[in-house]
Amino acid sequence: MTNPAGRAMSDSPRSRIFARVQQASRPADGDAIERELASLGAAPSADLPAADLAVAFLANVLKNFGSVDCVANRSAAVKTLAEYLYRHFRSHRLVAGNDPNLAAMPWREAGVLPRFGTVEPGEPVALSYALLGVAEIGAVVTVTGKANPAANNLLSEHHIVLVDSTRLVRDMESAWERIEAESAKTGRPRGINFIAGPSSTADIEGKLVYGAHGPRNWHVILMGDVPATALAAAHTLAGR
Amino acid sequence: MKQTSNTFLDNAHAALQDPAKVQRRDLLALFAPLIRSAAVDSFGHFDELRQQVKQVKQHTLDHLDHYLEKFEREALRNGNHLHYAGDGDQLNSIVLEICQRHSARRVVKGKSMVTEETGLNDFLKRAGLRVMETDLGEYIIQQAGETPSHIVGPALHKSAAEVRELFLAKHDLGERELAETTDMVAEARLVLREHFLKADVGIIGANALIAQNGYSMLVTNEGNGDLCANLPNVLIICTTIDRVVPRARDATAMLRLLVRSATGQPQTCYTSFYSGPRREHDIDGPLETHIVLLDNRRSEILASDYREMLQCIRCGACLNHCPIYAGVGGHAYGWVYPGPMGSILTPLLTSLEQSNALPNACTSCGRCAEVCPADIPLPDLLRDLRHDETRQKLSSSRWRTGLRLHAWLARQPTLYRAFTSLGIFTLHLLGRRKGGFTRLPLAAGWTSQRDFPAPEGRTFMQQYAAIQREEKAREHKAAQAAAQSQSAEQAGPEPVVAGEPRSRRAPPAAAKPAAAARAKPRRAPRGQAPTERIEPSLGTDWSDDKPGGQGHE
Repeated sequence: MTNPAGRAMSDSPRSRIFARVQQASRPADGDAIERELASLGAAPSADLPAADLAVAFLANVLKNFGSVDCVANRSAAVKTLAEYLYRHFRSHRLVAGNDPNLAAMPWREAGVLPRFGTVEPGEPVALSYALLGVAEIGAVVTVTGKANPAANNLLSEHHIVLVDSTRLVRDMESAWERIEAESAKTGRPRGINFIAGPSSTADIEGKLVYGAHGPRNWHVILMGDVPATALAAAHTLAGR
Repeated sequence: MKQTSNTFLDNAHAALQDPAKVQRRDLLALFAPLIRSAAVDSFGHFDELRQQVKQVKQHTLDHLDHYLEKFEREALRNGNHLHYAGDGDQLNSIVLEICQRHSARRVVKGKSMVTEETGLNDFLKRAGLRVMETDLGEYIIQQAGETPSHIVGPALHKSAAEVRELFLAKHDLGERELAETTDMVAEARLVLREHFLKADVGIIGANALIAQNGYSMLVTNEGNGDLCANLPNVLIICTTIDRVVPRARDATAMLRLLVRSATGQPQTCYTSFYSGPRREHDIDGPLETHIVLLDNRRSEILASDYREMLQCIRCGACLNHCPIYAGVGGHAYGWVYPGPMGSILTPLLTSLEQSNALPNACTSCGRCAEVCPADIPLPDLLRDLRHDETRQKLSSSRWRTGLRLHAWLARQPTLYRAFTSLGIFTLHLLGRRKGGFTRLPLAAGWTSQRDFPAPEGRTFMQQYAAIQREEKAREHKAAQAAAQSQSAEQAGPEPVVAGEPRSRRAPPAAAKPAAAARAKPRRAPRGQAPTERIEPSLGTDWSDDKPGGQGHE
C-alpha cells in the first residue's frame, strides 16, 4: 500500500477530512497567516531562580530531584566521575555513547573504564554528553544519532550527563533555536530529548516514586568556567 | 468500550457507596488544586502565558487546513508514513494492518487517550496480538480489566492494597511481601522491561504536532513512552488533527501550561520530540515510523459552536477542580473522558442522545473555567449542550414543561413578581414558627437532603425596590439641601428606573469578571432567535423557586 515516495496511504479519508477542515478554516494565503502568527508575540518563560545561568541551571536540576557536581575541566570531570562510580558501585565501569567529546576525555587519569556503545541490560551506569543544558527547566538535551543512543538515556539505573557550561541556554525556545541552527547543517535529528529528572511515577495513590521505567538516579556534571560559589548557591536556592 | 454515560445518575449513586474510594477522591480534590496553584503562582506570568497560547491555538484552528498541510509536508519529508482515519474503526484497522505487515506479535504502548477512544487494545487483541500498556497507571488498569478513571492518572481510583493484590495475582514471581509502593513500582519495572526489549511495535500518542518541522512532542514522567518510541523497530504515533501547533516554540509554551496544570511540576522528566525513522548513521531507533491522524468528528467540532473545545490540552485540571468529579469519580461518566472536559467531549464525539446526562452533571460553579490552561469557557459549553438537549427534546417532558413554564413566567415581569411575592409570603406565613420546612411539594430534591429555610416575607425584588426608593428619597433631600452645588450624584449607585430590569444577564455571571469578559455573541451561526432561548430568561431573577429545578439538585 505504501508507495516508494512515502505518500499518504489512505487518500480518501484524507480528502474527506481536508474538505471538512477547509470549510471550517478562514481563507488566507500563507504569508498573511505567518504575519498574523508573528503578530501574536512570544510566550513568557518561567523566571530563573538566579541571574547567573549556571546557578539557575544547577538549582533547577536539584529541584527536579537530580544530583549535581561542578568541575573546572575534563580532568576534574573524569575524577569526579570515578568518585561517583566508586561511591555507588565500588567499580570504575560505565557505558558511554560514541560521542567524540566523550572519547576525548582523559579517562586513564582516573582509571575509569568506559565501554563505548549502547547500554546492555544489566549495565547499571550510562554517561551522555549533553548537546545543551536549559536553565529555565533544569533539563539536559540530548539528540539521537551515531554518537548518542537513546537507550543510554533510559535503560540504566544511573544516568550521568556531562554538560559544558558554554552549552547552557536560558529557556526552551533558545534551545530550539540552537537545535534548528544545527539541524540546518546536519539534517533534523530523529529524536530530541529534554531530560529533567530521574524517571518517576505517582500512579499508585499519587505517591512519588523514582525509577519507574528509566533511571532511578540522574546525575548532572557541569563542566567549565563556573563561579566557585555556584554549587553552594544552587543548593541554597533549591533547599536541598 | 461500552458507553454507559446515560446512566450517570445510577453510576454516581453506586460510586458513592464505597467510603474508601470516596475518601481517596476527596484527598485528590484537596491536594491536586493546592499543588497546581503553587506551581502556577511560582511561574509568575501564568495568565499572560495562557492568553498567548490561547491566541496561537485559536489562530491555528482558524487556519487548520494550512497548518495540517504543512505538518503533512514536513512529516513526509522526515520519512514518516502518514495516515488519516475518519473514525476510530479506521484508526484501529490502519494500526492492525501495519502490525500484520511486519508480522508483529508483541506491541508495547505508551499512554494514549486517543487509542482509549478508539478501543485499539481490544481490537488488536482480537486479532491475536499481545498488547502491553506500559504507563504504570494504564498497566494497572489493563491488568485489572478496567478503564481509566482520570486522563492523567488512570489508576488513581485504586488503593495501594488493591494494586498489591493485583500484582500478586497477575505476576508469577513467587512469595514476596510487596509491602511498599516502591516495591510495586520496581516489580512493574521488572516485568515491563522484558516487554520493552521484546516488542515488535511501539505505539504512542502525541501532545503536540509541530507544523514547521514535522516533529511530534511526547511528554511523560516515567520514560515509558520514550522506550516505546526508541526500542521497537516500528513506531506508530496515534494522534488527532487538533494537536497541530505552528512552531516548536508554540509546543514548548503549551508545555509550560500543561505540566503545571496536570501535575504541578515545573517540568516533566521526559519531554521528547520525534521526527521520523532512524537516520542513515544512527545506532538505534525505529526503522519505520507511522503517524495516524484521527478525525473522529473533530472536523465537525471545528465547524460548530463548540470549536473552543479543540483548544483542550488534556491536562486534567478541570477534573481535579470539579466538585462533581471529586464526588463520583471518573467511571461514573461512562466513557473515556470524564469531568467537565469529558462532559463536553463525550456528547460531541459520541452523541448527545447517548450522553445527555453528562452536561447536566455540573453545578456551574465555574472552577473548571478558572483553572483551564486553555481558557475554555467550559461551563458555557456545558450550558449550551443543555440548551441543545432541550431543543432536541432529549430531556424528560416534565423537565421541559417546567422550563417552558418558567421561561414564559419570567418574561412577564409583573406576573412573575406577583407570583413569587405571593409564594414567598405564603411560605413565610406557613413556616415562620418553625423557621423552616422539612417537606415541600415539588421540592423533594431539596428537602430530602436538608431543610428549606422559611423566607423572611418579601422577595428580593421587593426588598431591592424598597432600598432604591429610600436611596432616591435621600438623594432628593440632599439635592434640595445643597441646591447651589451642581455636581453631586456621581458616587451614588446607577439610577434605576422604578419599572425596572427588562433584560439582565444572570447575576452569577456578572459576579465573575473573567466569565463576563468572555461573554460574547455565541450561537450566531445557528440563527437562533433570542426569544427561543431559555437560559437568559432563567437569569432574569434569582428568586429561589425554579419550577422543575429540583431534579438536578
